[in-house]
Amino acid sequence: MHRRIAIKNLALIIGGAALLPSCVHNSGKASVKLKNVDINADQEKLIGDMAETIIPKTNTPGAKDLQLHLFVLKMVDDCYTKKDQQDFMTGMGQFTDLVKKQYSRSFGECDQKQREQTLLSIEQDKDPKSTTYPAELKSFYGMVKGQTVNGYTTSKYFMTKQVVYELVPGRYNAFYPVRKKQAV
Amino acid sequence: MANLNIDSVKDRTFDAIVIGSGMSGGWAAKELTGKGLKTLMLERGRDVKHIKDYPTTNMYPWEFEHRGEMPMAVQEANPIVNRCYAFHEDAAHFFVKDKEHPYVQDKPFDWIRGYQVGGKSLLWARQTQRWSDFDFEGPARDGFAVDWPIRYKDIAPWYSYVEKFAGISGNKDGLAELPDGEFLPAFPLNSVEQYFSKHVKSKYSNRHVISARCAHLSKPNQIHLDQGRAQCQERILCQRGCPFGGYFSANSSTIPWALKSGNLTLRPFSVVHSIIYDDKLGKATGVRVVDTNTKETIDYFARIIFVNAAAMNTNLVLLNSTSHRFPNGLGNDSGVLGKYVAFHNYSAHMSAEYDGFKEWTTDGRNPAGGGYIPRFRNVFKQETDFLRGYASGFSAYRRRQRGWDGIGSSLKDNLVNDDLGPWSVGSHMMGETIPKEASYVALDAKLKDDWGVPLLKISMDYDDNDEKMKKDYIEQLTEMFTSAGFTNIQASSDHRAPGLDIHEMGGARMGHDPKTSVLNKWNQVHAVNNVFVTDGACMTSTSCQNPSLTYMALTARAADYAVSEMKKGNI
Ligand SMILES: Cc1cc2nc3c(=O)[nH]c(=O)nc-3n(C[C@H](O)[C@H](O)[C@H](O)COP(=O)(O)OP(=O)(O)OC[C@H]3O[C@@H](n4cnc5c(N)ncnc54)[C@H](O)[C@@H]3O)c2cc1C
Ligand code: SF4
Repeated sequence: MHRRIAIKNLALIIGGAALLPSCVHNSGKASVKLKNVDINADQEKLIGDMAETIIPKTNTPGAKDLQLHLFVLKMVDDCYTKKDQQDFMTGMGQFTDLVKKQYSRSFGECDQKQREQTLLSIEQDKDPKSTTYPAELKSFYGMVKGQTVNGYTTSKYFMTKQVVYELVPGRYNAFYPVRKKQAV
Repeated sequence: MANLNIDSVKDRTFDAIVIGSGMSGGWAAKELTGKGLKTLMLERGRDVKHIKDYPTTNMYPWEFEHRGEMPMAVQEANPIVNRCYAFHEDAAHFFVKDKEHPYVQDKPFDWIRGYQVGGKSLLWARQTQRWSDFDFEGPARDGFAVDWPIRYKDIAPWYSYVEKFAGISGNKDGLAELPDGEFLPAFPLNSVEQYFSKHVKSKYSNRHVISARCAHLSKPNQIHLDQGRAQCQERILCQRGCPFGGYFSANSSTIPWALKSGNLTLRPFSVVHSIIYDDKLGKATGVRVVDTNTKETIDYFARIIFVNAAAMNTNLVLLNSTSHRFPNGLGNDSGVLGKYVAFHNYSAHMSAEYDGFKEWTTDGRNPAGGGYIPRFRNVFKQETDFLRGYASGFSAYRRRQRGWDGIGSSLKDNLVNDDLGPWSVGSHMMGETIPKEASYVALDAKLKDDWGVPLLKISMDYDDNDEKMKKDYIEQLTEMFTSAGFTNIQASSDHRAPGLDIHEMGGARMGHDPKTSVLNKWNQVHAVNNVFVTDGACMTSTSCQNPSLTYMALTARAADYAVSEMKKGNI
């Protein structure tokens, strides 16, 4: 019935229309068109590498397969406040410098273990009073992590292959024994 | 004005005109066309055809560009409607955006509107409870507003009439304060809701937790199938418009029924500017409309007019309908038109957890939303230092909890192997507020909209009574939760502006006396007997039940009366 609209929207999510890479990947420009945050190709790659570290390809698809970094950028661009977007940009700079300082190379050039350690160490710095990492950096990481996981758990892949999402349940069982697995 | 040749006047003349095509207007159209009246229904917004115009109804979560979230630019441009809990990517197209239709807030008022065929009936949460005599007798007993000119017995048969057609699910609970209706099977309470219900019953003599009554076809009857509607599939995506017609909306039910009669002309894109009153004839002769596409002004004529533009807009239309006879608004001899408006107060919430029934959860989704606690304060007698009382929602649910901590393959595993959390319970208050003369809507003296209609100026606020009632809600629910063994009990109260509860009422209230009210007991304007107002504007007081079912019943009753008066030659 609304297949056309549905397909259009689906395309938007998984890399069509709005997120369509601008053909050739040149001139240091990001592949996505963003309205509010100004992201270059290196920065886009950084988000891609971070997302892939958070949700890596295993025997199931990872962040890059699902284009989750483009979803992260879209959400930051469209759904965050100016202040959050500024923190995102500042925090991204701080993150880049931190990695450079720590490993004398970029995040993309780090090995898997270094990447994981870097992200986990930021994630575990939960005390708001801690000064180990600057506030913007933590906020940047929080946005990347949050939207990567959000994009992952609401992706078509996850909602059809990993859990069962039903548009039409056709039932309400008010008493349902816990042992059985149900749909979301 | 359009040129008026004779034929054109004939083309623009109907037996009846209905202003507004939402919850109540749909009923006016259905009843009037069903009784053989050629009826014109005017709607300021666009047409929304059942199923065809529900663009998001079959979309999966991952098909929404922002997975349901509203873009910040839209949120910031729309601070008012953005505060409505249902304003999300899936249903935003059915809400009025702030800039499209400005109004003047003498005091903050969050006016949540749906301007399209079907009005807010597409968006509503479908909770439907009857009023009782404790509600209709309220103003007289407690000495506020004016006495309602009707009692429960006057409207009870009409509740039955609309319930049978609309399809209301519920249990026969046998409560004096919440009369039973013509119910389809109720959606059951779950284990914790049922436990709380039993607990409350054993502990308090006049407090009850029942299955919420709601406008869903839990098990359709023939009359519903005849409307082209099907059993509710428990999707809970209702605010997108339901392709099954599983819940009642004007779009799925009353309007198609009226169209099927062959007697309805539906005219969207038509802003009613005013009702035309003929000083010589001493009655209303028609309605002046501005076509929103052409900006053309067109007059339509009819013997009777039903005003169903939703409470605040109905006040606006009546106030803007001035004539030699009625310089201050149609039927406003009393001077009370636009005054004594009130609303519901939903500004307090409770949450808690329950550490039992671990062996149970739920499966599927409950369209009714859970339980309902009918008003228990000051019902049989005045017992607190505030007037009236509140109903409460109550529901219990278990969420699947996913561990978001960490990264890598262990995170991936956590996200799939989610665990069921403990039972959470929640409640919100639904308080009655008191209509006062100082709470009013009026026309702005200077500002006009794109169609030359003055902007509505709104001024109402919470008062001391509301604060005391809110405090009592929190105290009583905390006590009930504590006694039921709930833990981690949290009360919260927000400082929302009035209006967000989307149950604004009054301004053209019903009453016995033309000196203090605008409408008589038949929803007929005291001084203009061919104009009827049957939406929320007519409400003398607000009770605490959700109001729409009462608007429907009053509309059907008034339409029946209007047609019988026409037949007798009285109108
Ligand atoms: C999110 C939400 C949840 C709700 N939940 C509940 C609930 O659980 N239970 C309940 O009882 N109620 C609920 N309501 C309220 C319910 O929707 C309203 O009470 C009901 O729709 C009012 O009916 P109405 O006919 O007066 O107005 P509407 O349904 O709003 O219809 C009025 C129509 O008139 C049109 N109109 C306005 N001005 C003009 C004009 N000048 N010319 C031409 N047309 C005009 C409008 O465009 C609109 O289409 C809820 C509302 C919302 C938005
Ligand atoms: S819960 Fe029922 S009424 Fe609501 S969308 Fe689903 S099927 Fe339709």
